[in-house]
Amino acid sequence: MKNKLSLALMMGYLLPGLVLATDKLEVVTATSDLADFVKAVGGDKVKVVSLSNGSQDPHFIEPRPSMVMQVKKADVLVRIGMDLDLWVQSLIEASRNSKVMYGGPGYLDASRKIEKLEVPTGKIDASMGDIHLYGNPHYWLDPENAKPILGSIVKKLCEMLPSESEYFNKNYEEYLRILDSAIAKWEEEMKPYAGAKIVTYHNSWPYFTKRFRLEIIGCVEPKPGIPPTPSHIVSLVKKIKEEKVKVIIMEPYFNLKVTEKIAKDSGAKVVVLPPSVGGIQGANTYLHLFEYNIGKLAESLQD
Amino acid sequence: MFELMLLPFAACLILTGIHAYLGIHVIEREVIFVDLALAQIAALGAIIAFLFGMELHSTAAYVFSIAFTFVGATIFALTRLKERKVSQEAIIGIVYAVSAACSILVLDRAPSEAEHIKYMLVGNILFVKWPEIIKMAVLYGVIGLFHFIYRRKFLLISLNSEEAQKEKIPIKWWDFLFYATFGVVVTSSVEIAGVLLVFSYLIVPAVCAMLLSDKLKTRLLLGWALGSLTSLIGLYLSATLDFPTGAAIVCAFGLLVLGVAILQRLAVR
Repeated sequence: MKNKLSLALMMGYLLPGLVLATDKLEVVTATSDLADFVKAVGGDKVKVVSLSNGSQDPHFIEPRPSMVMQVKKADVLVRIGMDLDLWVQSLIEASRNSKVMYGGPGYLDASRKIEKLEVPTGKIDASMGDIHLYGNPHYWLDPENAKPILGSIVKKLCEMLPSESEYFNKNYEEYLRILDSAIAKWEEEMKPYAGAKIVTYHNSWPYFTKRFRLEIIGCVEPKPGIPPTPSHIVSLVKKIKEEKVKVIIMEPYFNLKVTEKIAKDSGAKVVVLPPSVGGIQGANTYLHLFEYNIGKLAESLQD
Repeated sequence: MFELMLLPFAACLILTGIHAYLGIHVIEREVIFVDLALAQIAALGAIIAFLFGMELHSTAAYVFSIAFTFVGATIFALTRLKERKVSQEAIIGIVYAVSAACSILVLDRAPSEAEHIKYMLVGNILFVKWPEIIKMAVLYGVIGLFHFIYRRKFLLISLNSEEAQKEKIPIKWWDFLFYATFGVVVTSSVEIAGVLLVFSYLIVPAVCAMLLSDKLKTRLLLGWALGSLTSLIGLYLSATLDFPTGAAIVCAFGLLVLGVAILQRLAVR
């Protein structure tokens, strides 16, 4: 045990960031969507594990010892960033794996190349805290944003396993082609509903609605993480009626009761859409996820 | 895996050390939920500090939450009445509920994401680090020493307040000192281990020890031994079965109580 340990330690010092050509790259990701991207690009040259599954709220993941172990042996760690997955930070620190620490060769914040929405502008004073500075972190819900995410991933994989660069790039190009035609199809499906007004439970859909030209007129939560107050519910119901909103989008892990009450009082319909791969049965890949969500949403907006 | 569990185990031993002792006081005084109430007041203090622009986990925010804890300590010291019309546990419950509700109101007015603040206030024993352990050991060592030096007074006001009154010990003052030191311990522990786990460390070893013995010294030794052993079992279960660590330890404590209760029943027969 001790020998093994010191050998591992020595290897860690001697070969920081380098991986033997015959080995698969060990990749951990914060969410299932990121894992799907890594799989698409990395193919059989990587072994990827997601630390959370699609049915969990990615803001709150209860850490387990095995997660630390997974991060410990990882060559690459991909996270959502923008303070959405703060729990990943604790896992990295506990793992003491310098490869995947911030600034390490295997660390990848997938939000780096994303054009961010809702970044506070103007003077930011101390009373605002340091929490929401980076903007809205639910950027993977715009399928166009998959491209910069995939771009960052392919770059990182090539850096870590240069011998397979060609393979990674080929997979990347191929995925982009499939993605492009899929996006064109989804946009076509959503076209009839351009400009439709909707309400969401949590403020997690602005990237999605921007892409598919929907307009969010309000959220069930007055502020992220705060349950609705009575006056907020009353004014939201009024607004939904006035603006003739048809649907309220909600993630599977939020409070259905409150949302159903608002829907009942206002005549709108609750549509439960999983925000991540695996959030519902059948949505096992990123492409399937959007296939499901677009289909469900188009159907609800129709009637 | 063993390496990973080493720091949590060290933290568990320190938690056992101070909480098993304080637990005996708390159970004798019949103020079981006082730690939840004080922890909640401290959290309220931290949240208000955050609203005023102080950073979470900064010294300024810490001072703020300790100040709030002292306010709580004053309330509990003043509400121990000679002739009890209502149990002090009722007051504690009220303080808990109101301060928890206050933090919701304050968070509602906070400019940024409430969910992150809530997440950051509660620690996870799996992620404890050396500097935190050392800080905790020193702080609890000092408080433990203070309690050891004045053990006669502290024990008398907890176990036999009538006798204390006869001796003309200023009970309210010593009550305040008890709750203030207790509050500091609980606040620091919650920041490292979370509410559930701290509550278990406070109550379970003390309850088991009190079931098994009537002598203070034996009770203390039993509490420490049982607390340490159960921590080890909980950590082992968490490591091998891959359970969330804090919850695994709390459930191990549940099994301990069950075991001791059965043992005691058999012994009585």
